Amino acid sequence: MRESDNNVRRIVIRFIVAAVFLVLLFRVAKMQFFNEEFTDYAESLVRVEQTVYPTRGDIYDRNGEFLAQSRECYDLMVTYDDLEDEGFDTMRLCSLIDIDKQKLIKSLSRIKKDAYMRLKPVKVIGYVTKEAKLQLEELSIPGFSFVSRTIRWYPRKIAGNVLGYLSEVNEQGLKSDPYYELGDYLGETALERSYEKVLRGEKGVEVLIKDSKTVIQGAYMEGQYDKVAIPGKDIVCTIDGRLQAFAEELLVGKVGAVVAIEPSTGEVLVMASSPGYNPDDLLGRERGNNYMKLLNTPTKPLNKRAIDGKYHPGSVFKLVQGLIALQEGVLYPEKQYPCHGGYTYGKNKKLGCHAHPSPLSLQDAVAHSCNAYFCHVFTNILNNRTKYKNTKEAYEAWREYILSFGFGRKLGIDIAGEDAGYIHTVEKHDADHRHGWGPTNIISISIGQVVECTPLQIANLAAIIANRGHYYIPHLVKSVEGEESIDKKYLEPQYVKVEPRHFEPIVEGMWRSVNRQGGGTSRIAYILGLDVCGKTGTAQNSVRGKLTKDDHSVFLTFAPRNNPKIAMAVYIEHGGSGSSIAAPIASLVEEMYLTDTVVRHDLVRMVKSRKIDYSKYYKAESK
Amino acid sequence: MNRLNQHSISFFSGVDPIAVMLYLLLVMVGFLNIFSASYQEDLPLLAFEQEYMKQFIWICISLTVAVVILLLDSKLYHMYAYYIYFGALLFLLMPFTPLGRAVNGARAWVAVGSISLQPAEFAKIATTLAVARLMSGYSFSLQNLKGLINVGILLFLPFAIIVLQNDMGSGLVMSSFLLVLYREGLNKWICIPLLMVIALFVCSFLFTPIFLVTVLFWTFVICSAMMTGQWQTQIRFGAVVCLVALVLYSVSFLLFDGLLSGYGALLISIALGFVVAVVYAWRKRFTSLFLMLMLFLGSMLFVPTADKIFSSMQPHQQQRMLSFLGLQPDHSHVVMSKTAIGSGGLFGKGFMDGTLIKNHYVSEHHTDFIFCTVSEEWGFVGVLVVMGLLCALIYRIIHIGERQEEAFGRIYCYGLAAVLLFHVLVNIGMTTGLMPVIGIPLPFLSYGGSSLLAFTIFVAIALRLDASPQNFSAYNR
Repeated sequence: MRESDNNVRRIVIRFIVAAVFLVLLFRVAKMQFFNEEFTDYAESLVRVEQTVYPTRGDIYDRNGEFLAQSRECYDLMVTYDDLEDEGFDTMRLCSLIDIDKQKLIKSLSRIKKDAYMRLKPVKVIGYVTKEAKLQLEELSIPGFSFVSRTIRWYPRKIAGNVLGYLSEVNEQGLKSDPYYELGDYLGETALERSYEKVLRGEKGVEVLIKDSKTVIQGAYMEGQYDKVAIPGKDIVCTIDGRLQAFAEELLVGKVGAVVAIEPSTGEVLVMASSPGYNPDDLLGRERGNNYMKLLNTPTKPLNKRAIDGKYHPGSVFKLVQGLIALQEGVLYPEKQYPCHGGYTYGKNKKLGCHAHPSPLSLQDAVAHSCNAYFCHVFTNILNNRTKYKNTKEAYEAWREYILSFGFGRKLGIDIAGEDAGYIHTVEKHDADHRHGWGPTNIISISIGQVVECTPLQIANLAAIIANRGHYYIPHLVKSVEGEESIDKKYLEPQYVKVEPRHFEPIVEGMWRSVNRQGGGTSRIAYILGLDVCGKTGTAQNSVRGKLTKDDHSVFLTFAPRNNPKIAMAVYIEHGGSGSSIAAPIASLVEEMYLTDTVVRHDLVRMVKSRKIDYSKYYKAESK
Repeated sequence: MNRLNQHSISFFSGVDPIAVMLYLLLVMVGFLNIFSASYQEDLPLLAFEQEYMKQFIWICISLTVAVVILLLDSKLYHMYAYYIYFGALLFLLMPFTPLGRAVNGARAWVAVGSISLQPAEFAKIATTLAVARLMSGYSFSLQNLKGLINVGILLFLPFAIIVLQNDMGSGLVMSSFLLVLYREGLNKWICIPLLMVIALFVCSFLFTPIFLVTVLFWTFVICSAMMTGQWQTQIRFGAVVCLVALVLYSVSFLLFDGLLSGYGALLISIALGFVVAVVYAWRKRFTSLFLMLMLFLGSMLFVPTADKIFSSMQPHQQQRMLSFLGLQPDHSHVVMSKTAIGSGGLFGKGFMDGTLIKNHYVSEHHTDFIFCTVSEEWGFVGVLVVMGLLCALIYRIIHIGERQEEAFGRIYCYGLAAVLLFHVLVNIGMTTGLMPVIGIPLPFLSYGGSSLLAFTIFVAIALRLDASPQNFSAYNR
């Protein structure tokens, strides 16, 4: 009995030992094989994903000069809970990163209040220079860290409106593209925006291990989950930096725009809007203030007048009228019309003209910019009953021609913000003239009033005439690093509805306007040996419904006459006659471009000293 | 020369080779994991600041001591068991002298120079020796009240001192001797209420006193009924006590405006019943019933003191206790430990590659939580190896115990096996969230000189006791 009881106890004890081990083993097995959450949680504990920001692509001008360059800079981050209790050398920190002490304390106390923000790095201030960062890292204040960013700087400080600016991504940007995260910078306007995807590159990820005190211990799994950041691609801009700078210099004190295009390619050589701004102002910590200042400046420096300014083309529009009439067969170059100080129409109405010889052929009418001549021409187009049943049909046909020249629609340049201008439709005229309308009602269109266009469209017209009938869609990017070609649409010629053979008389007129002694309105644009062709324009305009005394000064030009290298439009608001300011500016830019230097210093001095008072036309907005 | 040679051969041949191998393997595995868990990259590989280097030294010391023990006469342990026991008790009191040192709120260490020892680890050996000596006595019987009380005193003294040191975990190790007592013939109906008392002790503050008292009362009534076979009397007795309590409560409620609470009424009636039962048992010389009553009295003492004990615990101990019992959100300590174990998978993350361990998410990952290192870096395979080795060692020691001709050796081996089993259960249990976190080490694997040295001595004595008959025969020949 005693022995068998002992046996039972021996067995029971062995059973107990086995039971203990089995229970523990099952417990561990259950945790290791059936509870996925442990693995996930372990990973989430130690893994930190750190974004590696690629450097943004640089922007060069057509000669390889930097227009916009990337520069390293850092965001100072603070993890509030990692700050030491006894505080740190605030003064030193503030002086190093150049921040007001009160501001620092304010932002720290804001973080302190938020239990969630306290735990992770939060941005205190951006745009910390590399030198400041290195010095600060030497102090090694716990709780502070840096995130690397690339920002811009602009070595030439030109073409702000063309290059655009970067800004921190907003709610909308975050929603529209999952690529962006809070604190990222993206191109907000112009080239920076339209080539954002090319310039930004691709963010990389570094998967790191952090220890229980959130100190980074190194790469996770030897970096096998890392993703290398792909640097942004550089782009070569069609802009000629030197020429752009020169144009901007000449434009100081005037409101207007200069657009120059290489006719054989459609590449934009100059796109200057005035007033402009220093692109450096729109980055860095003062950006917000500067932006508001620019926004509140009456003359609106942020407007891209070159592509969004809506102006009457003035007399340069006569060129198109002549071309259409030739194509329509209602005009031949030798046709002469008399001018008696203007064009009389309707019941004793008269559209005035300036003094010049009369009668004139087409070429001379262009050279002398005769208003009467082109009133006849436009009237003939609309009264062409052999081809069209009525005025409306003729006008419709005329409008088709105009659109083929790139007016009344967006040309499709590769930056946003382009305006279509405005060419009246038949319906619009119907609405404006309830009792019916004929050529006499809309006669001022013949000399480029009423309709509206942008300086870019005028420059494009110059390119069309230079090319004798076709153009390439103007564009600002010549090439993108690593890409074979730019968008194909910029490489295909666009033909206007006027045949090349009709261009020669118009070109001849433009040539005479510049080159014939005592002949034309554009004499001031004459440059020896360059065969400049040009056409002045003087556009009447009204501000707040009243015709102003100071007309807009317009000039359209290309040079040389044969095999043109540059086609250009200059538009100066309230500059007076076309020859007074627009033509000299255009001529100087041409001279600079074609001869690499400027010898007419007096003309430069004259242009630069010409300051136009805009206070009448641009009033500060009342708040 | 020849004699010496012969002696040394016999010395080694007497030692159980399987147990030695298991022991060495465990120490090796332990060292490997301590190396992985404590390697600091900014220190040279062999710098003494590295904790594994300290452990290495302790391993060397332990092996030396083991050899010394194996060289000593086995009779010594039987002879000096009580002296060793009293020596250990004195050593246990040392932490209260200026030599003492507190770690984690437990004043359980004695520091001499740069070496610090935990007397509680050695007290386990001494207690085992003393218990073995007492129980192997010719006149000793577990059926007899005096014997039980003597064993109780032997266990209670070190337990009390260790608890006073605020090292509850090591104190509770003493309860593992229940297994030894069971093996040596303690009535299982005493074992069961004792287990109950231990369980209730752990979570006594969870329940209202009235519930505790009721459960304890009926447990003892039923167990003593099972033991004595006097079902009718016992049930009647219990029913009467409850009825008295009910009557008392009603009377006080109706006549004295609720002077007595239900708890008070129950206590009074139980006290009355207890007196009656004691007198009855004394008159009838009913030893087993008397024994039960004594145990009941002892366990009743816990009821009002449990709250006190809990509130006297260190805040971190309270926290662990509460989180274990699900009264508070899981303590991050255990969450991390479970996460480390759970994320190990089948093959683990690889040696030195435990992400949570290496990055200090699990604290004490080389001491009490070394099991986390094993399971995170070696996965289930590693766990299987470690638990297999431990299990094999425990079985081997039980096997060695059973083959002893003398009761002393058998009881000692069972004591060792029980202590080992308790350590394994509580340590792995706490790292996996099955047990409350009471800091006791995993034998042979956890970092710590005291623990390793103590368990080495513990095992070495068992091996020496086991080897002695062969040695004697070798001498005799």
